[in-house]
Amino acid sequence: MAELMSHSDFRVALEQAFAGTMAKDASFSRAWAAGKLHKQHFVHWATNHYHYIGPFGDYLGLMYANTPDHARDAKDFLLQNMYEEELSDDRHTDLLIRFAEACGGTRAYVQDRNNAMPFAKGMQGWMYYVSGRENFVVSSAALIVGLESQVPSIYRTQYPTLINEYGFSEWEAEFFDLHITSDEIHGERGYQIVLKYADTPELQQRCLHYVREAADMRFAYTRALYQTYVEPDLGPWVEEDERQPALVG
Amino acid sequence: MPRIYFKTVDRYVEFAEGEEVNVLRMAIREHCDVPWQCASGNCGTDRLLVEDGAENLDPPRRRERARLGDLVDAGYRLACQTYTRGDVTFSWDPDQVGLDDEPGSGGGSRAGWAGTG
Repeated sequence: MAELMSHSDFRVALEQAFAGTMAKDASFSRAWAAGKLHKQHFVHWATNHYHYIGPFGDYLGLMYANTPDHARDAKDFLLQNMYEEELSDDRHTDLLIRFAEACGGTRAYVQDRNNAMPFAKGMQGWMYYVSGRENFVVSSAALIVGLESQVPSIYRTQYPTLINEYGFSEWEAEFFDLHITSDEIHGERGYQIVLKYADTPELQQRCLHYVREAADMRFAYTRALYQTYVEPDLGPWVEEDERQPALVG
Repeated sequence: MPRIYFKTVDRYVEFAEGEEVNVLRMAIREHCDVPWQCASGNCGTDRLLVEDGAENLDPPRRRERARLGDLVDAGYRLACQTYTRGDVTFSWDPDQVGLDDEPGSGGGSRAGWAGTG
């Protein structure tokens, strides 16, 4: 029977829950950071990413509805996150489509669900399920800690490559620059909410379970991007410096 | 260990050698009461005066340059947009609001969103 962990022990456990399966280490991310991808690969990435995170406002709205009134700070955070995704400046999905268009894609292609992998549709369905069905602190652990808090670690290696090696302008790649910083804060606020409201051993364990599951989902999805779109062009991913296969593909 | 000194609240926050950390994230994590609203570089609520250690900060980002304008040359940074890899000291006005929410700015549309968390 698990015991209630202190905030500091629980935070370490949350951070360790996805340490081995972070999406930045998946083959598609590694090939991106190494400057190996072609622009049509980015169009496929943007299309799938659109169907994965496009309904993020929906997910947050479901979580908002599941959050009790006494957790006002958590409700305010979810509402603010939703506002920033959709209204505070450029809509985030529009920034994503701007990038796809800079790669030769079109808005219509990106928005067509038929152009997304089953893995992307699976991510979307999983996120609808968790946000709609789970306790708000568990869904916060899954979506905010397990997924959103990973974003800066991914884009901080990919963004400089987009500018310096692939030759995109800051305007074309604004989607990435924006998320490097904003998701640092969203991720941290997610941690604060989970630490505060996961106040039983059962809730803490359920949060850890879903953080692991979220990381596994995102890693498998990112790996599938390489296998589906890049491997036919470049072959299996091999790390340049070690000539060893990357983490599980 | 390198550390951030949040001078206005007299708090030091350490981080691991070799890491680059987001300043606002560390402030939120350690409850250092840096005012903020949007986390996207739009509102300017989290502007901090760099009193020492500017050489340890990453260069201002596009959004930060656009939002702060001349304040960058006066030594200000946006906490949400800034990463540090070494010792640095920041101060701020505890009552400061977003740049568009300053009296006479004609702004104020974002007033009321979650503050220091």
